[in-house]
Amino acid sequence: MAADAYTFIFAILISLVNLFLQVFFTIMYSDLECDYINPIDLCNRLNNYVLPEAAAHAALTIVFLLTGHWIVLLLNAPIFAYNAHKIYTNTHLLDATEIFRTLKKHKQESFIKLACYLVFFFLYLYCMIAALVRED
Amino acid sequence: MSQEHPEQGSSSKRRVYPQQQYDFAAAQPAGYSMPDPTQPYGASASPSAAMYGGAHAIPSPAAFQPHTANVQSGAFAPPPGTPGSAVDPPVAPGVAGGMAYGAPQAAGAAYGYQGLTNQMGNLNIGGGGAYQGGAPPGAAGGAHMAAPTQLNQIYNTDLLQNFPPPISDLTLPPPPVILPPGSSVTGNPDPNADSEFMRCTLNTVPTSSSLLKKSKLPFALVIRPYTALRDADENVPTVADTTIARCRRCRSYINPYVVFLEGGARWRCNMCNLTNDVPSGFDYDAVANKPRDRWSRAELNHSVVEFVAPAEYMVRPPQPLVYVFVLDVSVHSVKNGLLATAARTIKESLSRIPNVDNRTRVGFLAVDSSLHYFAIPRKEDVAEGEGEEGEENEWPEPRMMVVSDIDDPFLPMPTDLLVNLSQCKGGIEKLLDSLQSMFAHTVNPASALGSAVVAAHKLIANIGGKIVCLTSTLPNVGQGKLEVRDDKKALGTSREGQMLQTASTFYKSFAVECSKTQVTVDMFLFSSHYQDVASLSNLPRFSAGQTYFYPGWIASNPEDANKFALEFSEYLSQELATEAVLRVRSCDGIRMSAFYGNFFSRSSDLCSFSTFPRDQSYVIEVNIEETIVKPWVTFQAAILHSTASGERRIRVITRAFPTSALLQDIYASADQIAITTYLANKAVEKALQKGPQDARDLLMNRLNEMFTCYKKDLMTTNVGASAPLQFCTNLRMLPLLVNALIKHIGFRKTSQIPSDLRSAALCLLSTLPDKYLIQYIYPNFYNLIFMPDEAGLPDAETGQIVMPPCTNLSGEHLISHGLFLIDDGQVMFLWVGRDAQPALLQDVFGVSSITEVPTGKTELPVLDNQFNERIRNIISKAREKTDAITYQHLYVVREDGEPALRLWATTHLVEDRVEQSGVTYHQFLTSIREKLNS
Ligand SMILES: [Zn+2]
Repeated sequence: MAADAYTFIFAILISLVNLFLQVFFTIMYSDLECDYINPIDLCNRLNNYVLPEAAAHAALTIVFLLTGHWIVLLLNAPIFAYNAHKIYTNTHLLDATEIFRTLKKHKQESFIKLACYLVFFFLYLYCMIAALVRED
Repeated sequence: MSQEHPEQGSSSKRRVYPQQQYDFAAAQPAGYSMPDPTQPYGASASPSAAMYGGAHAIPSPAAFQPHTANVQSGAFAPPPGTPGSAVDPPVAPGVAGGMAYGAPQAAGAAYGYQGLTNQMGNLNIGGGGAYQGGAPPGAAGGAHMAAPTQLNQIYNTDLLQNFPPPISDLTLPPPPVILPPGSSVTGNPDPNADSEFMRCTLNTVPTSSSLLKKSKLPFALVIRPYTALRDADENVPTVADTTIARCRRCRSYINPYVVFLEGGARWRCNMCNLTNDVPSGFDYDAVANKPRDRWSRAELNHSVVEFVAPAEYMVRPPQPLVYVFVLDVSVHSVKNGLLATAARTIKESLSRIPNVDNRTRVGFLAVDSSLHYFAIPRKEDVAEGEGEEGEENEWPEPRMMVVSDIDDPFLPMPTDLLVNLSQCKGGIEKLLDSLQSMFAHTVNPASALGSAVVAAHKLIANIGGKIVCLTSTLPNVGQGKLEVRDDKKALGTSREGQMLQTASTFYKSFAVECSKTQVTVDMFLFSSHYQDVASLSNLPRFSAGQTYFYPGWIASNPEDANKFALEFSEYLSQELATEAVLRVRSCDGIRMSAFYGNFFSRSSDLCSFSTFPRDQSYVIEVNIEETIVKPWVTFQAAILHSTASGERRIRVITRAFPTSALLQDIYASADQIAITTYLANKAVEKALQKGPQDARDLLMNRLNEMFTCYKKDLMTTNVGASAPLQFCTNLRMLPLLVNALIKHIGFRKTSQIPSDLRSAALCLLSTLPDKYLIQYIYPNFYNLIFMPDEAGLPDAETGQIVMPPCTNLSGEHLISHGLFLIDDGQVMFLWVGRDAQPALLQDVFGVSSITEVPTGKTELPVLDNQFNERIRNIISKAREKTDAITYQHLYVVREDGEPALRLWATTHLVEDRVEQSGVTYHQFLTSIREKLNS
């Protein structure tokens, strides 16, 4: 199998993980809205996953950079830049004191990321199949 | 208005609603609640005389009924302008006698004429009688009889014509809440909670969210659960029998607006309409062991009541009150005298700390670059109350333990750090006496305040309580250490917003920790240098505490020492509730959407308070999610808390408001004071997120939107470039208040305000109860040489000092031979004109020439003449309060004196240009008009 196919299999795995994480985030946010969870527990739980999510995505972006997949790299760049900016300005973690005020924003972010990862997932799947077909 | 107990017996069943309106009129002669329909505000040739209360001044011949008119249906003529369509709905037989007059009666109530009122009172006897005979008064028919009620009428004011703004409006009560007759279940004349406890920006609630959106008015509640620092100054009825009737579905508490059904066996919830059983003990007096009259129950008569809660309402038994004092002992606090003054004040106030059942505990922690713990040993063999005075010297010495590990503070010993106030009073006093000498020679400039708070928290985490921090040093070592980030060049620029945000996440994350363990942190800050109030204030903000800022405080100045000692003593004496939660409920389709104030939001609609302070108010934004079909809706705030005496209690505040689908009704009943309180909170939130510029923009935009809406939808005639700037009369102070807010120290565009001062001002703006907030935004300004004869002297009837009338805050009133007082509730300025007469100076200051007048922070000398006494009376009256701890400094300002002081005083003249916020109020209005007309 070609290196391309391996790259995209890796990409599919990463985007699956991130997809699940975003679903988890979204569910947790609506739990907070319905008062099934208190803001302190929510922040403690979600904050564990903020950095791993960003790191996984960053790793994938770097793989694309190294393997020269420019188009998918470009597609991933906005999310990468967004995550990097949040970490740089130290605003990536959820703040239990402000969570109800910022909940709408967080939910929006989660939805957008969810949509992106979903699209990317199918894109990578297509790319992988294309790479395999090309090899045959 | 006080809540009166209804008279007992059959007369209590009388619905005396119109009488209430009359009381209102009598108590507030200038109230705009009873406008004469033929004399709209400002319609008279002399606008200032006729507006507000013109109805009383100028009887209108057509509408006025003679006082002695007979009780005849024919004698009753609705005033012209009252829609003749006040048609009765079909009424149930048997109540016809009462209801036939129901509609006009409501109309009369809205106008509140004395004559009409008397008729109504008589008419009501018939009406009420129909309901008597065991059945709950007003139950079946009255409450849901959507009798057409005349809501407040809208009146226009031309703001530029009506100049200067009539500031006496600022003290008026909110527009009356006009409920259909019979909406309350008992005959209490005033079933609605006093507007001090709860007020709403819209005293007529829009029926749909589209109408609310269209109106551009904010919809929010301003809630102030306590109106006094101590219980003795408050008069809230208590329901002590722990029989608490609550709705099964929405969990709201039984209140004066419910309806009893099935002969009183069941009650219908006024929020969600569910029918509930009346609890078994409801009609039984458990204390006297005999049946009781249901109608005498306080919760059916009063809208502010306190229930004593049974054990189900406790997560754990009520904990004792705990105070841990974290005292800064670095060189700054020793030098400026804070340590000595604080220790002395605490010692003198020990007996004022609430300690009803001798459970209160205290602890002390001193902090510089290390932590100093104090173990106060118990005197085992001294029996309580036995010769303590004489044996005081025999108390064992308190021991000090120093822990220099500030990164992970630990407690050096498990006991004796937190001691019972009553049992260890002698030891505590001994410790407080020796503190100053212990640290007198320190040269340590460091402060590990963050670590000290963590240590103090460890000490009380399993009980909860208050951590009181007194510091004059920037916390520069240990946890949550901060750096000087006060960049003078950034002031007034877009970078200023950052300096209002916290520099260390510690102060937010630790606040969460505190809230979890029922701990409140209060900050008393005294630095003469940068202290990062912005960061430190986050701990109080999210743990239901408060930040008190004393810039440049120094104990060698007797005024400084006095102010702090008085305020701190008041602070310690206020009665505290602990482990409190606040929840506001309302009818279906209405949701509380955002919460403002110092607390932690534990869930989407629950505010949690580790301890409940008594001098703050809270703003809750309301969302309409479904169309409201009810003729009136109810809001109910419930504060579940433990009292210092170990009782679990629920304070319930209920208020009902009529609804309307008409935009003019919404505007006519909008409450400008509540709207300003909401806008101030909103602007503070914005300033903390983005910076003062965004806050100013927000204020300006919200005001412009209201003007645009008002002009577009409520003014049909005035178009064109020269159209006057019109607004409804009940909101005519709003532009002034918004303009004053934009010029306020918290938001003003300037490069002169250090960020510490700004942060402290923002803390006040988001917590002050409305009456102090309005004064803080638009200070009281008194002309002391042209005041009425009675001003400054005790009133013949009440014995209270009469205050002179307020003057508009404009420099044109500052005549050069005058004497003025500006009081914003936090600080007072006594302004002496440059040409003040020697006789005046002699009377007031006891000096013969203006150059001898002492300026700056000072007190007036006590001189033996009436004028001096009157002015001193006025000043002390302005400082006298039972619901706030603030004691204003008095600055004497000479017009020809120190420029900085003079400039500071003149920034309070908010109708003029203030620094770079360079428009006068008149220009402000003109620019709004131009924008509207273009
Ligand atoms: Zn209910």
